[in-house]
Amino acid sequence: MDNNDTEAPVLDGCDQPKAQEEEPEQEWPYLDVHRHLRYWKMCIRAPLPHIYLSNESNRLALAYFIVNSVTLLTPPPSERTPETPEPLISREDKKLMRKWVLHHQHPTGGFVGTSSLVFPLRDYDTYNFDTKTSDEPDHAGLANITSTLFALQLLALLADEEDEAAAENVFEGVNRVGTLRWLKSLQREDGSFGEALSDLPGHGRFIAGGYDMRYCYIATAIRWILRGDVKEGSPGWVEDFDTEALARYILNSQTYDRGFAGNSQDEAHAGYAYCAIAALTLLDRPLTSTSPSTKPQPHNSPLLHSSIRDLPGLIHWLASRPFVYLEPPPPSASTDPDTYIYQEDDLDDPNFLLPPTPSDLLCLLDTLQKEKGKQVNVAFNGRTNKVADTCYFWWVGGALANLGHLDELVDREAARRFLLEKMQHRIGGFGKSPGSPPDLYHSFFGLAVLGLLDHEGERGKVRAFDAGLAVPRETVGVIERARGKLIESEKKGGKGFDEKQTVRGKEAVEMGLELRGDGERPKWLGACGY
Amino acid sequence: MPPKSKAATKPKATETTTTTNPTTITSQTASQPSEPTTVLERSQQRYEKTRPFEAARRQQGLSKLSKEDQKGWICDQLLHLTNRLPAASRSRLLGPKASKEIWWTINGTNSIVRGLKHKPEPHITWGTDRNGHDVGSYTIERFDERFRKRIALTALQVSSRVFRENVEREKRGFVDARSGREIIVTEREIDEEKVRRSKMAALKKELYGEITGKLAGSVEWEDVVPIPHEEPEGALAAIAYPAEYAEAMSYLRAVMTTKEYSPRCLRLTEHIISMNPAHYTVWLYRAANIFALGLSIPDEIEWLNEVALANLKNYQIWHHRHLLVEHYYPTISSDPDALAQFAKQERDFLIAILSEDTKNYHVWSYRSWLVGKLGMWEDEEELKSIEQLIDEDVRNNSAWSHRFFIVFSNPKYATPGKGATEKDERVPQELVDREVKYAQNKVYLAPQNQSPWNYMRGVLVKGRQHLASVQGFVEEFVVKLGEGEEEEDVKSTHALDLLAEIYAEKWDSDKADLCLRRLAEKWDRIRGGYWEWRRKCLTQTEKEKAVAVGEAEKGGEEVAAA
Repeated sequence: MDNNDTEAPVLDGCDQPKAQEEEPEQEWPYLDVHRHLRYWKMCIRAPLPHIYLSNESNRLALAYFIVNSVTLLTPPPSERTPETPEPLISREDKKLMRKWVLHHQHPTGGFVGTSSLVFPLRDYDTYNFDTKTSDEPDHAGLANITSTLFALQLLALLADEEDEAAAENVFEGVNRVGTLRWLKSLQREDGSFGEALSDLPGHGRFIAGGYDMRYCYIATAIRWILRGDVKEGSPGWVEDFDTEALARYILNSQTYDRGFAGNSQDEAHAGYAYCAIAALTLLDRPLTSTSPSTKPQPHNSPLLHSSIRDLPGLIHWLASRPFVYLEPPPPSASTDPDTYIYQEDDLDDPNFLLPPTPSDLLCLLDTLQKEKGKQVNVAFNGRTNKVADTCYFWWVGGALANLGHLDELVDREAARRFLLEKMQHRIGGFGKSPGSPPDLYHSFFGLAVLGLLDHEGERGKVRAFDAGLAVPRETVGVIERARGKLIESEKKGGKGFDEKQTVRGKEAVEMGLELRGDGERPKWLGACGY
Repeated sequence: MPPKSKAATKPKATETTTTTNPTTITSQTASQPSEPTTVLERSQQRYEKTRPFEAARRQQGLSKLSKEDQKGWICDQLLHLTNRLPAASRSRLLGPKASKEIWWTINGTNSIVRGLKHKPEPHITWGTDRNGHDVGSYTIERFDERFRKRIALTALQVSSRVFRENVEREKRGFVDARSGREIIVTEREIDEEKVRRSKMAALKKELYGEITGKLAGSVEWEDVVPIPHEEPEGALAAIAYPAEYAEAMSYLRAVMTTKEYSPRCLRLTEHIISMNPAHYTVWLYRAANIFALGLSIPDEIEWLNEVALANLKNYQIWHHRHLLVEHYYPTISSDPDALAQFAKQERDFLIAILSEDTKNYHVWSYRSWLVGKLGMWEDEEELKSIEQLIDEDVRNNSAWSHRFFIVFSNPKYATPGKGATEKDERVPQELVDREVKYAQNKVYLAPQNQSPWNYMRGVLVKGRQHLASVQGFVEEFVVKLGEGEEEEDVKSTHALDLLAEIYAEKWDSDKADLCLRRLAEKWDRIRGGYWEWRRKCLTQTEKEKAVAVGEAEKGGEEVAAA
């Protein structure tokens, strides 16, 4: 996702964060929570600028970035004091947002990425749910694998934390069985996953989407969130997808330089490395956390550690992603390099700024430190010889955290300093590269990696983050309880709805049929459990 | 109005007696209106003309008016109030006597009774134009102009309706009642309607600010009822997009629902793609249309080239291209010439687009897939074009990666199913030597560039070579390691890294540890944690080795004992 030219309006009265004296007890650089919240508030209250149109087909992703970030920055109820400001998303807002998310659910399972492709239900009249043959209106409301994970994460993130009982019911209304069946149908013969099912004239029903490690990760996350431990033959049991084939596909995607790619023949990429690693950990992750400790203990996946062909090599590749970030020279000699804010274009040309030899670099760093008191900045790239980008700090950090090596292998001080000093924008949020304006994607991943680092500077400011499921630790607990509740309600006979809900649902169906007025019962109703 | 006839006759009778009412005359002369400049002013003047006492009250205040005028004002108010009521309730409110008295007084003032019922108000009386301005604030001339436009629009709408009805009649095969001939909508009539539609759209936009997008105004989309976008409350991440996009999406929903595949649908997808090329559903629908209509794939690819060049970072375009090639391939697979021709065309385009963005992941990913699909392994041009990219930028890791793929995945000798990190017995030795040499030559150009180092190591593993086979080369970049700060020099940290592995491979842990220690202490401090971890692994391997040796010795002793 490239939102480099996102134009964000500059808020009045925003000086350089350095000049702000709001938190004098903390030394610069620090996470300016106030400004970040203001940035996210702007994203909630006003429509996003036109530049986000390219994300129109997956608005749930944008919603996930927004709600996840706000949750990360909102202390859990137990840690709130009278001085804590009111949460940015109120309990009432959460209820409405929850309904909005559920509105994206496809009648056959899964979620559609944008409400602009949610079709009125009558459009499913001709779809045969038993044979799944294509008398279905073509593409009508295509459920998408990415959107489905974001929808489930959003439902959990929108849990009312002040009401335990309500939090347990966040998955109420989710078509668990339908979604898991649909998920299985997205798996290709080679074990990989596509993003959606589609009909192509002359090709029949096919699995659309590239050969992309992201879909593989997402499949394992949806499976972990919804599947549970229902025994075969019990109500709510769904045949699992071929986890072995998936694992085989993932393991085959390790590249000659020991990273991971979208598939075995492409270039190693940190985003895909994260997906590959996180997917393997989710395949054998226990369904409930053993200790609800505040410090995230990543699941030490036996599968992950036993199956990767070259594990030390993978760690080597991940450890090669950080590099010393040197500022490019300012555009003209008269510009003061200390106050000049770098523009995106300045960075384009010399995309690799390291001096030719290691001793040149050492010399340069020594000079910088002695003359200007500057400390080393460590940035992350996503591929060998590529430029610094906020999100790769997350992808690499997340991958290492899943491997259990984050604390040991990353220079946390230097990397954190770079993120806060160079990527944090004065209007709040994080940019893609130094000097670039903030966007939803990078602003979220900047916070996410701070939630992983567990640096003392961010304690009490950012919630601890789960490296496998990409939500705060507390939200993982919500998912675990909500999954149990959903399965329990299915055992009682309802289909993902509790009994009271079903009765009310049936009444509503009768009313709806009457409103339709043609006296017929559409086929899809059966599939929905009515 | 029961007293109407009376009122109409009475004034004439009383005219002479009441003209001398001094107050009324004063108030009327005092507010002698100037020529109105705006529509609202004109309305206000008209309103006041029928309410002489109201004008006086507004100017002087009720208490300052004479008794006569006060009475006149009250009667005036009552009259206008009761005039709005139906006759029955009017008579209930005012008895016949009171009614008579009111009319008597009013007639006495000689004012015009039938006037505007409501006081003219800005925005309310004349409404608001598309810019939110009060139409009442228009000058008379401007207002008349607007009025003429409205008449023109109505006339156009009537004609357009006639046309639409004719289209409907033609569809149903109706016969004209008078002439007895079948109704046929001629090309000329369609052309006229097109002109009419554009005029209507322009007028609507001008008058009401209504955006009738391209589609709503187009004859082509006549029969489609768009499905508007609805969203419940609590929506997040709404995007401020143009009305044109919303319109196009509402038509897309409509045609997708009816599963229509037609040239107009193809054009619709193009229209949406021009606004949002990242919409995967639209691309899928486009592919479905092309396949259903049996359109030419090369034509589509040509169109796609332009779109791809205009949207370098787009992912969906490449998936679409992938689908097109999958569909097209069976039609040319048995013709080697056609296949070679197609492969050449594709490569030419890929070279062109990579020259714009040399590390574009989607393009490279498509390229590697294409090589496999079209079997371009033996194609010398493919390797040559990669070499050229590496010559231009020796740090282009995407090009290095593609090189490894085409060299070591060639089904002619590569073992199927072997992972990239696995050794392959069938890879020819001369190929391994050639590639190691190639990488080494590139290392000399920029020793601190990791790409060729990774490549060389990858080739050695694939070609089942010991890393130690390149020890001599590696040592060229490490000078007098551990022989003092002044003496020691490292031209490439990647060399020192590989050297550590070479020593470890040779079970020389001390030397391996020295390499790692120097990396952590001096040459690559930002990865200090990683090098320390490697040192730990080294001691672990050492222990394991000791255990293994111990066990082997023990085993040996047991064997000996037996």
